[in-house]
Amino acid sequence: MNVRRGARYWLDSYAAMLRFDLAAQRNWLPLFALMQILFGAGMAIIYGFYIGHLSRDAALFIVSGSPALAVLTAGLIGVVMMVTERQQAGTWDFIWSLPAPRSAAVASTFTVFTLLAVPGIVVTLALAAWRYGVTLTVSPMAAPALLLSSLMATSVGFTMAQLIAKPLVANAIVNALIFVVLLFSPVQFPISRLPIWLADVHRVLPIYYLGQVLRASVTRGLVSNLALSYAVLAAWTAAAWAGAAWVVARRR
Amino acid sequence: MAGVKPAGSWTHAYWRMVAWDFADLRLYLPVLSAVLVLQGAGLALGVGLLFGTVPRTAAVFLVTGAPVMNLITAGLIFEPQLVAEQRTRGSYEFLQSLPVPRSAAALAWYTVALVTALPAVALTLLTGVARYHLDLTVTPMVVPAMLLTCLTGVLLGLAVAHGVTAPMVAMLLSTTLIFVMTGFSPVALPADQLPGWLASVNQWLPFGPMATIVRGALVSGVASEVPRSYLVVTAWAAGSALVVAWAQGHRR
Repeated sequence: MNVRRGARYWLDSYAAMLRFDLAAQRNWLPLFALMQILFGAGMAIIYGFYIGHLSRDAALFIVSGSPALAVLTAGLIGVVMMVTERQQAGTWDFIWSLPAPRSAAVASTFTVFTLLAVPGIVVTLALAAWRYGVTLTVSPMAAPALLLSSLMATSVGFTMAQLIAKPLVANAIVNALIFVVLLFSPVQFPISRLPIWLADVHRVLPIYYLGQVLRASVTRGLVSNLALSYAVLAAWTAAAWAGAAWVVARRR
Repeated sequence: MAGVKPAGSWTHAYWRMVAWDFADLRLYLPVLSAVLVLQGAGLALGVGLLFGTVPRTAAVFLVTGAPVMNLITAGLIFEPQLVAEQRTRGSYEFLQSLPVPRSAAALAWYTVALVTALPAVALTLLTGVARYHLDLTVTPMVVPAMLLTCLTGVLLGLAVAHGVTAPMVAMLLSTTLIFVMTGFSPVALPADQLPGWLASVNQWLPFGPMATIVRGALVSGVASEVPRSYLVVTAWAAGSALVVAWAQGHRR
């Protein structure tokens, strides 16, 4: 039997899976983008409701934190919903049975959702800046910051949903807890307000660093030690890929 | 066929459905209860982080609003998700075909939702009171207020679950509703911190009035227009009951 392998074959499979993902999700993708904008910009606005009267600095903090909210919405809600729906419908079993390397199928899913999240992130930022009347200074680092953040969130969301493997549990966790997770995350307020143990937890989790990387790309002088933030995001992405490789490659 | 009646009395059918729901969801309910505790207590503690020092009004609204979210979430969010999964699996038609009065099945689900929510409500309240050092003046009206709030949430959830037949749309709708409840309704924040138009709209939506009746029974002098809120909530309960009756009664 002639086993097909090699870079050329992988790239062909990857291109075919990209077409498959875009075609299979064509009804769901616009909804995904819409939901992301509504939730990302919505969360930024909600923080204002809870606080009541905002100082100028607090407003800048909230606006520059809003892209992180859009990234997390796409990665945690959007990707998890997509993965669990495919689990319930048995789509993953179908995809794994296709004559394409599983890594190509996963890479295609990551590509589609990473790129798809970007317009939503930009619109969220624009809406939040408009709502609070804040002017931003966008640096050239915004492009790599957006892509790495979105890739990290997509990868972690995908791997988490695949590891939990129980659609009801994954959805319950995501729906009921997403806002609480965001509330306790030092994205919309300085990390110094957290109890020390929780701040330490957030120095390991990716959410704080995601917020830092994105904040630095649209403001000046608020963020320091940026290299560490990039390194942590990259490490989480790599860990999620390792997890995805394990969960996707094992036989059942 | 004339004369075919469900086996046994209505009460008997009710208890059988309660037993059925608990057996069916025995693994799921403890997870839901835990998720509710994290949601309620998490909100009460998390919003506090947005402020340097938490103003007393904000604390009162947070502590009394968070348990209301538990009550609403148990009925309004989990039921559509459960039914969406039943539809995807195909067990929905089977459950509907059981020889049990629909009202008994609905009341059984209300019982299950109460049992799931009440421990979370108590823990959420205790956490909030301990964190912000508040003195609550609990009146006996807390019993009807919480029962009616949970009942309305359950009926709204049943209306979404049985009225919306596409599982994906029902899931998306329940996620959107939890978002509206958390951020765009005066549940855990004073209505005057919302823009004027949104505050007016909320006078006629169910979430704000639900919070008002519960808050009125927990603290004195903060909630206003309590009788009006009872009317609004009751109207939503009755309207939802009609939708449920219609959605379950007509033939497909």
